[in-house]
Amino acid sequence: MEAFAQQLVNGLTLGSLYALIAVGYTVVYGIVQLINFAHGEVFMIGAFGALSTWLVLFKGQTGLWVLPIMIIGAMAASVGTAVLMERVAYRPLRGAPRLAPLITAIGISVFLQEFVRLFYGKIPFLDFPDAKQKVPFPQIDFVTGPAITLGGVTIQRAALFTIGCLLMSAAALWWFVNKTKMGRGMQAVSQDPDTARLMGINVDRVIVVAFAVGAALAALAGIAQGLQVTNINFKMGFIAGLKAFTAAVLGGIGNVWGAVVGGVSLGIVEAMAVQFIPGTFGGSPWKDVWAFALLIIVLVFRPQGLLGAKVVDRA
Amino acid sequence: MSKLTLSDETRAKHGSKAPLLAIVGGALTLLSGLLSWSADPSVLEDVTVRFWPVGAQIYVMVMGVAAIVLGLLLRKRPLWMSPGRGLRILGWTIVVFALAMALFGVGYSTGALANLNEGLFVTLIGGVLVLTAGTVTPDVEIDVRAWPRLNSSLEILIIVAMMAVLLVVVAHALSLQEWTFIAFLLMIIGVAGAVLGGGLGGYLGFIGANNRRPLLLAAFLVAFLFPFTQDGSDANMSIAVQIIIFAATALGLNIVVGLAGLLDLGYIAFLGTGAYVGAMLSQSLFATVGWKPPFVVVMLIGAAVAAVFGLIIGSPTLRVSGDYLAIVTLGFGEIFRLAMFNLDGNNGPSLTNGPNGIPGIPDLNFFGFDFGERHVIAGIQLGRFANYYFLLLLLIAFVILVFARLNDSRLGRGWIAIREDERAAEAMGVNTFALKLLAFAVGASLAGIAGTIKAHVDTSVSPDQYIFLESAFLLAAVVLGGMGTVVGVLVGAVILKLLPEKLREVNDYRLLMFGLLLVLMMRFRPEGLIPNKRNQLQFHEDDEELVELIQEGHLEEVEAMEEAK
Repeated sequence: MEAFAQQLVNGLTLGSLYALIAVGYTVVYGIVQLINFAHGEVFMIGAFGALSTWLVLFKGQTGLWVLPIMIIGAMAASVGTAVLMERVAYRPLRGAPRLAPLITAIGISVFLQEFVRLFYGKIPFLDFPDAKQKVPFPQIDFVTGPAITLGGVTIQRAALFTIGCLLMSAAALWWFVNKTKMGRGMQAVSQDPDTARLMGINVDRVIVVAFAVGAALAALAGIAQGLQVTNINFKMGFIAGLKAFTAAVLGGIGNVWGAVVGGVSLGIVEAMAVQFIPGTFGGSPWKDVWAFALLIIVLVFRPQGLLGAKVVDRA
Repeated sequence: MSKLTLSDETRAKHGSKAPLLAIVGGALTLLSGLLSWSADPSVLEDVTVRFWPVGAQIYVMVMGVAAIVLGLLLRKRPLWMSPGRGLRILGWTIVVFALAMALFGVGYSTGALANLNEGLFVTLIGGVLVLTAGTVTPDVEIDVRAWPRLNSSLEILIIVAMMAVLLVVVAHALSLQEWTFIAFLLMIIGVAGAVLGGGLGGYLGFIGANNRRPLLLAAFLVAFLFPFTQDGSDANMSIAVQIIIFAATALGLNIVVGLAGLLDLGYIAFLGTGAYVGAMLSQSLFATVGWKPPFVVVMLIGAAVAAVFGLIIGSPTLRVSGDYLAIVTLGFGEIFRLAMFNLDGNNGPSLTNGPNGIPGIPDLNFFGFDFGERHVIAGIQLGRFANYYFLLLLLIAFVILVFARLNDSRLGRGWIAIREDERAAEAMGVNTFALKLLAFAVGASLAGIAGTIKAHVDTSVSPDQYIFLESAFLLAAVVLGGMGTVVGVLVGAVILKLLPEKLREVNDYRLLMFGLLLVLMMRFRPEGLIPNKRNQLQFHEDDEELVELIQEGHLEEVEAMEEAK
């Protein structure tokens, strides 16, 4: 029972991270029907943005008060990247055959990874560490440090931070989508872009906002990841992005709440698979395999996901 | 590019000045080869000395001569040529050549642009003049009826001569290194582009279409003779071997993506399946299966296992399509890699030795012919990779044959119907699910065969060779060259594998440029370098000129062929 509770906590932590990234996939997909493969890289750049902010402004500081500013730095970096890639690479391809944006996305993903690997340590006037290996991520008072033990269950402080981020983001997202003019515009565009345009909604702007919202949450996830594993690297976006995409599909791509539900469920399934699948196919070496198997099963048998967004049928 | 073309009036007004511009531009380009390019003798085989052209300087002079010849042709134009187009292509190439050599060949390599001497500036001016000459020349319709009629033995002779030139060009190109190699490549692009774009392309295509079999035979003869130009050295042969394995796999992928229109992002897993089967059943001391059948059997098993995996991975196509299918295949690809990484006995059965892989795979031995040893044929030494090269040449010939025959068959038409509109195809009675499964199975088995040979060429297999990036490379080869065509995929494979090998200096930036290339390609030429006409139309639906051009071109071809008969 204790093991179960422990894995539930682990799964919840992992799942919150997936959910934060998955929102980015799902928001963009809901509006332009585009799988933004490079979203994992936006998450990675968010983490590097936070690190850069800390290195430039607060090197050596560990007070909790630096965290909000790091979050702003991370969001600036990842939102900037996402908006730029939409403008430069995706927008010219609107209406092109489906293969084109997918290959563009792979190209952007490889480009961004390599860009960070090659040039992060070489920015003039800034003494940043070389990003070709793992880079240590700053540890902040209160959100990192000794773990909390609750009736035999160990809870990392960074895990609480991650779950807290997800809860607050979900609330903010709910308010944004339902209560603001832009949010309602997004809903309208996702239902019917042509009619939305006739109603006077600036569709181009809605698309940019969708990319920006997803990127902002990915930046939070980047910081959470950095705090949890204490280091970051240029490759961290690929697997995390793929898992988050799995989560988005699991919940029902295009449905924002589906991303949250899917992320948390995927995290829990993964944690339970590590603990409870018996024999030599259990344990952490196989956890990614089970996650991908789940992805395939969901795509094949319930492509509309758990929460059942619109049924996807496109060639 | 369309913004740069001038209106017809401007062209008619200034067209008369074009020949002079082209000749002056060509002369300047020619002259620039005699000048000094760099103050530092360490780059581009020492281009500091004036009036002593070497390497890249000779190449630029060749382009200068080509521009002058085209300029002279402008004055008295044969009806079946269009020198203006040729001049445009040549002009662009000379400009790119001058910039590439100045910025990278000299600037980047020596670490300072200050090392630049006058030569490349003159090249740039010459290039701009040639480009201007091409731009102000009015475009003329090539009159296909003016094509010279030759008897067929002469036509075959032309084909053989072209192939011989190709062999010499390839052999020379591979002997070059770094920026001199790029200089040579640019010269070939410029001159060949000018000659083909200037009107000969259509004519040669016409000759080729008349003599398909001799053309194919000549192409394979050239490929067969290539190792004999290497003087016993294995350096280029090892690259050639990797290119063929890559190209054969990419051709398999082309069946799935190019013909049937099913996106596969985990295709490297099939090559990996073949390689692991080849390794597990080999004579290696680390092989995990006790049974060691002869290699022909291993090849068949590799193909069969890969085909079974293909069927498994293809089975979701019954229910998912488009982007979702891409993600499913990506998932399968990752599962394959992780499984190979894990199956070491501690996690699951002991099959692959986990991250260490299976090393020590011995060379092949066919009836006493040891692939690991040097052999002397007609006084020329052939090393280990040359031996494998011949074997792989047979393989790729087989793959091309399968691809071409399928493409022209009822199955191929079914695949294309599925690619264009699955529902319409189904309504017309195409068994879509069976055909889609077949595409996966055939493509996978071709990659599987290539994999079994790859295991012996590399002497070891390990999971880190079969990552997602490799699948992306394969897909890029298909897309870059042109989906659905054989030549396109071969060109794509050569570009993606050869350039990084020849440009070691910028090897660290290899992937960065690869990513950028994909983005730019999709933005500016999504149909690939050598596109299938139907695909090209799909990417430029609103381009009415192109539609007409393709229809006209088709009619012309038909007319010309009927006349020839």
